[in-house]
Amino acid sequence: MIFKTGEKYNLTFVVSEAVQQSFVQTFGDKNPLHTDEVFARTKGFKGKVMHGNILNGFLSYFIGEGLPVKNVIIHSQEIQFKNPVYVEDELDFTATVSDVFESVKSVEFKFVFTNTALKTVAKGKIQIGLLA
Amino acid sequence: MTHRIDLLKQINDIFIDVLDNEEIAITESTTADDVEDWDSLSHIQLVVAVEKHFKIRFNSKEIQSWNNVGEMINCILEKGI
Repeated sequence: MIFKTGEKYNLTFVVSEAVQQSFVQTFGDKNPLHTDEVFARTKGFKGKVMHGNILNGFLSYFIGEGLPVKNVIIHSQEIQFKNPVYVEDELDFTATVSDVFESVKSVEFKFVFTNTALKTVAKGKIQIGLLA
Repeated sequence: MTHRIDLLKQINDIFIDVLDNEEIAITESTTADDVEDWDSLSHIQLVVAVEKHFKIRFNSKEIQSWNNVGEMINCILEKGI
C-alpha cells in the first residue's frame, strides 16, 4: 500500500472570478447569494459567497491529480462548510491519510480548507479506492 | 453462541446503515446474492465499516475466502473480538 496513515498532502487553490463564472455557466446556479453583491451584503456577508460545491471540484482535482498514483476512484465524501469563501480567496488545502484499509484497497483522508485569515472554511472526509 | 448472535446483530446494523435499508435481516448463511444492493462497491463500504466498527483489519485473502456472513463472523472471532 502506497499510502500510510498520517501522511499529509498540501495544495493551494484560488476561487477566482473565472472559476465561479465557469461553475455558474456549467451548473446554472445563479442564486443571488452567489451572484449579486448587494443581495449578499444585505444578508450579512462581505460580498458574493462562492458556491460551496466549487470546493468539491478542488477535491476532485486533489484525488485525480494531486496524489502520487492515478488508479484512483472516489467512493464517498462528506464535507461541512464552516465559513464563507469570497471571490479571489486563496485557500490552503491539507489532506491527511486518516485510515488505510488494505483488504479492500481503500484509503480515507480527512481534509480541511483554510483561508488566509487561518479560518477553516470547510472540512470533511473522502474515501477512495485504488483500482487494480 | 450468544456472542455470535450479538456479532450478527451488530453486523446487521452495519448493513442497514451502509446499504440504507432498514429491512435488512441477515443470517449466517446470507450471501451477497441474497441482499439487494450488496454489490462490489458496497462490499468495500461494508468491509470498511466492519473494520472500523470492530477496530480490526482484514487482509484480502481473508475477505476473498468468505462465502457467507457466518464466515465473516468466524474471521472476526479469530481476531479476538
